[in-house]
Amino acid sequence: MKSGTVAHIHGSRIAGVVSCVPPRVIDNDYFTERFGDKVADVVKMTGVKSRHWVENGVTTSDLCARAAETLFERLQWDRSSVDALIFVSQTPDYRLPATACLLQDRLGLRPGIIGIDVSLGCSGYIHALWLASMMIGTGAAKRILLAVGDTSSIMNDPNDRSTALLFGDAGTATAVEASEETADATFILGTDGSGGESLIVPKGGFRSCAGHPKFADFPSDILYMDGGEVFNFTLKAVPTLITETIMASGIAPEDYDLFLLHQANTFMIKHLAKKAKLPAEKVPINIDRFGNTSSATLPLLMTDLAADTLKERRCRIGLFGFGVGWSWGGASMDVGPLQCAETVTL
Amino acid sequence: MSEFYEGLAEILEVEPSKLTSDLALDEGVWDSLAIVSTIALIDEVYDRTVSADALSECRTVGEIEKLVGSDS
Repeated sequence: MKSGTVAHIHGSRIAGVVSCVPPRVIDNDYFTERFGDKVADVVKMTGVKSRHWVENGVTTSDLCARAAETLFERLQWDRSSVDALIFVSQTPDYRLPATACLLQDRLGLRPGIIGIDVSLGCSGYIHALWLASMMIGTGAAKRILLAVGDTSSIMNDPNDRSTALLFGDAGTATAVEASEETADATFILGTDGSGGESLIVPKGGFRSCAGHPKFADFPSDILYMDGGEVFNFTLKAVPTLITETIMASGIAPEDYDLFLLHQANTFMIKHLAKKAKLPAEKVPINIDRFGNTSSATLPLLMTDLAADTLKERRCRIGLFGFGVGWSWGGASMDVGPLQCAETVTL
Repeated sequence: MSEFYEGLAEILEVEPSKLTSDLALDEGVWDSLAIVSTIALIDEVYDRTVSADALSECRTVGEIEKLVGSDS
């Protein structure tokens, strides 16, 4: 496989998913004063009509915590039964400690559970599902909480029209548990760090940008995106990832109920789906109402457009995350009937 | 070249009949959105990817054609 090594994992299932968005809705009118007529051009490509942005001081973990509270309530999970918490985000609370540690305490999970942060964006949800399945497979955990999301609005460059309108904020919680009843899940994960500088927040870490040809004079803590290179990466990586994941699963493409693609931008999703020969009616798109919520787009699809289907019956779904890193992941798995799939507001 | 020209005319917002190799890529139109759209167009028509940086340096339609035709 060109995309990465195939892993078939048995013995776990998703029990429920909850997404949480902040109440503040930003419409495109918000950007007209700064960008004028160009707003329409950008919207034509990205397809984002509105997005939810956090107020000052609200972090990804706040959104994830709220989502987790609802999830525990709906599933009637005893909190002492959770064995691990995986927090996936590019917008943690602090440089240290890991946000997973703070969430363990905040959510009243028992001390002694496994808690780790994973620093990935658009591909992060697939990595989290894979990690959870692996933990369950080793016997290290029976019930795992995935807290996945980003508040990219905080890193937006307000003067860069290619990113200012694109991103939205969301935090999600996914319950994964041991189960002998589900079919094997298939994963393919991959990385190519040669694209590291094409989608980056160059400052705020521990490497100095002094003398860097591109980032020496770049403002602090602001996102830089080379949209053309991002698109080129997805063209090279994603159709192959989709084809190889489906092939590795041993399930015919027509037997899939849904293909959930990271909501990067509408133009890109449609182009990639067409290139991978996926039927448009099985590729839901909700970026119009939420923007690109980075690591949260896939669970946000599950609690939004795919929620009714996933609550009703068992579905075979393909999940594909790709972006910052470069990093990508494809998963083929049975999901549903979910006890809970809903979107809440903070 | 016709499918490519038609697509490019739409991206550059000019009449297809006015699109020639000599047409200059006006800075107001040849922005990052146009470049991404052109990458998609080239992928669709020729099934190949071209570098966004190289594309952004093109100053005429002819230079885009040259890029598509090159092996790099």
